[in-house]
Amino acid sequence: MTRPARRRIATAGIVLVATLAVYAFSRPGHLGGGAPPTNSRLTIGITQEFENLNPVIMSMSATAYLFRLVNRTLVTLDENAEWKAQLAVELPTLENGLARLVEVDGQPKLEADWEIREAATWGDGTPVTCHDLEFAWEVAHSDKVSIASVEMYRQVEEIRIDPANPKRCTFLYREAKWNFNRLFQFYVLPAHLERPVFEAYGDQPEGYEQHSLYTRDPTNPGLYHGPYRITEIKLGSHLILERNPTFYGDPAHIEQLVIVLIPNTGTLEANLRSGSINMVSELGMSFDQAVAFQARVDAEGLPFKVNFKPGFLYEHVDLNLDNPLLQDVNVRRALVYAIDRDGLCDALFAGKQPPALHYVSPRDPWYTDDPDRIAVYPHSRREASRLLDEAGWWMRPDGYRYNAQGERLRLKLMTTAGNKVREIVEVYLQDQWGGIGVDVRIQNEPARIFFGETTRKRKFDGAVMYAWTSSPESIPRSTLHSGMIPSEANGWSGQNQPGWVKPEVDALIEELEVEFDADRRLELARQIMDHYTGDVPVIPLYYRSEVSVTPASLTGYSLTGHQVHATDHVERWNLEPVAAAERGAP
Amino acid sequence: MTAYILRRLVQTLVVIGLLSFFCYYLMTLMPGDPIDEMIAANPFATSADAERLRQLHGLDQPVHVRYWNWVKMIASGDLGYSRTYRVPVTEALGKSLLNTSILAGTALAFSLLVAVPLGVWAALRKGSRVDYLVNLFAFAGISVPSFWIAIVLILLFAVYIPLYPAGGTQSIAFGLGPWESLLDRVQYLVLPVLSLSFLSIGTYVRYTRAAMIEAMANDYIRTARAKGLSWNRILIMHGFRNALIPLITVIALSFSTLFSGAIITETVFAYDGVGRLVFLSIQRNDFNVAMVAFMISVTMVLVMNMIADLLYGVADPRITYS
Repeated sequence: MTRPARRRIATAGIVLVATLAVYAFSRPGHLGGGAPPTNSRLTIGITQEFENLNPVIMSMSATAYLFRLVNRTLVTLDENAEWKAQLAVELPTLENGLARLVEVDGQPKLEADWEIREAATWGDGTPVTCHDLEFAWEVAHSDKVSIASVEMYRQVEEIRIDPANPKRCTFLYREAKWNFNRLFQFYVLPAHLERPVFEAYGDQPEGYEQHSLYTRDPTNPGLYHGPYRITEIKLGSHLILERNPTFYGDPAHIEQLVIVLIPNTGTLEANLRSGSINMVSELGMSFDQAVAFQARVDAEGLPFKVNFKPGFLYEHVDLNLDNPLLQDVNVRRALVYAIDRDGLCDALFAGKQPPALHYVSPRDPWYTDDPDRIAVYPHSRREASRLLDEAGWWMRPDGYRYNAQGERLRLKLMTTAGNKVREIVEVYLQDQWGGIGVDVRIQNEPARIFFGETTRKRKFDGAVMYAWTSSPESIPRSTLHSGMIPSEANGWSGQNQPGWVKPEVDALIEELEVEFDADRRLELARQIMDHYTGDVPVIPLYYRSEVSVTPASLTGYSLTGHQVHATDHVERWNLEPVAAAERGAP
Repeated sequence: MTAYILRRLVQTLVVIGLLSFFCYYLMTLMPGDPIDEMIAANPFATSADAERLRQLHGLDQPVHVRYWNWVKMIASGDLGYSRTYRVPVTEALGKSLLNTSILAGTALAFSLLVAVPLGVWAALRKGSRVDYLVNLFAFAGISVPSFWIAIVLILLFAVYIPLYPAGGTQSIAFGLGPWESLLDRVQYLVLPVLSLSFLSIGTYVRYTRAAMIEAMANDYIRTARAKGLSWNRILIMHGFRNALIPLITVIALSFSTLFSGAIITETVFAYDGVGRLVFLSIQRNDFNVAMVAFMISVTMVLVMNMIADLLYGVADPRITYS
């Protein structure tokens, strides 16, 4: 090839690339996802895998997210963190007479009358009745079905169905507890379809779940009674849902939902910007990625809204109270005083995740920040240093503290390796604790080992950082009761990882569980918080926020910040509010 | 030859059996078991729950008993049940295996089509500008991390110049005809195939170039030229054929990856393949899926090695199997 010919080819190549680039950058909204979505279809990206949607067996967060699109529960927790009847007509309470304290064989128990909405039917037209509740309760009690969350079902001793109206039934509870009506994880199963399967295979180990129609025929409309039903499911890939014409509530505005699994968060964002997906669910972007994306939305005018909502996820540091160093309450208090939590939240989270004082979220009715009720630790290096001096740890010229035996004040801090936000917070803590002379060594582990072994079996000798989740007015038995310290003897169950033993707190928790007077409960809850903040078995850091990205035109959507996802009010999501109003739609 | 093949088959089966136990045993050594995860995720689970679930899943049995139960299940044609996805393993794995084999097969074919001629071309022009350019490209392919090239491809060809989808396996659409469906599938394959090929092209180019340089330096090439044979005949029948032996080894081993997946590429491109599935299965202690995937991978490596050994004899008549 001659030199002029080569030059001509090179020039042509450059012109072609330049033309393509000009074309790409000149297209309107080339980075903004193309045409805005309409009510005909909304494509949502998630990063977490999902399983089949049998509610009694499901164990993944993504499945719980999807579940609320297709099925509902007797009771729900709405976006304002208030308990509401959902599939039930009314929430039974002692006050409205639908619940009663009774005595059975000398034992105090409780009965509650439940009634399922008249219009509630499965997708094949079969009414949803108490037989479906009873069937789910039976499945959950089977020792051949692999289900861990049986507590919600186990608290019910008997279900008596009204022979005249199967939509009505009475639950007899094993114990009389004030939170008996918060059955947001007491699911219904379509007995007319699933009972024959259970009868045929229920006596084989895992036989029911392997043959359930949710596994074998997941697009059967009779399996769903929520606002949508599944028309296509490809595990590991996507899910297509269409509006359920038999839904008992207001019909959903959006005709079709497509849920796409994109495990990589970077690719998720690229898909959003290229228009392949319209929205990122709360099971999508990490917090730091959402903050960065918010900046890009503002700078480039992208047609998205980045949503943040502080929730019930409590990020904290557990201290192992078996460690002699940490058995001294002055040391524990010094560690809290040394942390500037306001500064941490402002610097690292742009103020979108509030600092924590204790395990109760600011959105919880039990929350208090009153310094007369709980111990509050404003950032004070001076106070932290004074407490450490009192505890017998003195500063030496090398910048570290030592005790009388010449041992350095050293603390091992662990968290999940690869979690960028936690790793940054860890460095922040190392710096702040280093400032009062504590030698902090960071040793992180993959999540599988960290949660599967280190925290669960209390194999840490210093401090571990992770999160607890809860719901409003949640009784902290599993995290604070001394009977919930994981050990080999109890099969490593329970979440009292610090190993905190406080008989007064145990007694308060036991009283709280059965106290029907709301004012007294508030008092008990605050007494527990007082002990908790005073003793500092755990160092509170911040309350995590839920994040999602929605199309700018989406209305009726709200993050919840708790275990019941935003999909619980999917029928209110609307991409064309103006057009809907013109049509006179609800 | 037949005796050799039979002997190798028996050896292969024995190795598969030993490796299956080894893999199974290694999996049981990992921290935690499937029940741990269920218990850890549920604050209300009690020790009785843990005990009940361990019995139900057979985890209270010694490892050799569990392994033997698994072997019996596999031998009966039942691959088991995925406790991650709550579906039979065949359902969880089948589709992903097909997707991965399409992706890896296309990438392998594309890589060979590009790399072999490029390697031969560079070898014949050793030390020239062309050779330096090809080497630069090959080293870039070997050195650049696959996740980086994947993200660059997505940014370039899905976000800034939206020619191809940013991720996925195929469009979620209705009423596509067979031709449209095929074209759609190809669209989704382009970027992951390019990403996967970038690394393997570099590797194959280096192997081909080295083997060709060595082959073309032999005395019989000079003799063939002296005899007046055509350049193409010398190149293909004498040069390339002798360069094939190292290439056969590399390519045969590459075939074994057809079913083991490319986890990074599959994850970045949200491609519904077996690599991502196996990774998740291992993470979640889903023994049944992970073991079947391991076995497929092990079998492919052993079988492809055996085929490579047989192909040596085809490429070089001096090699016999008596």
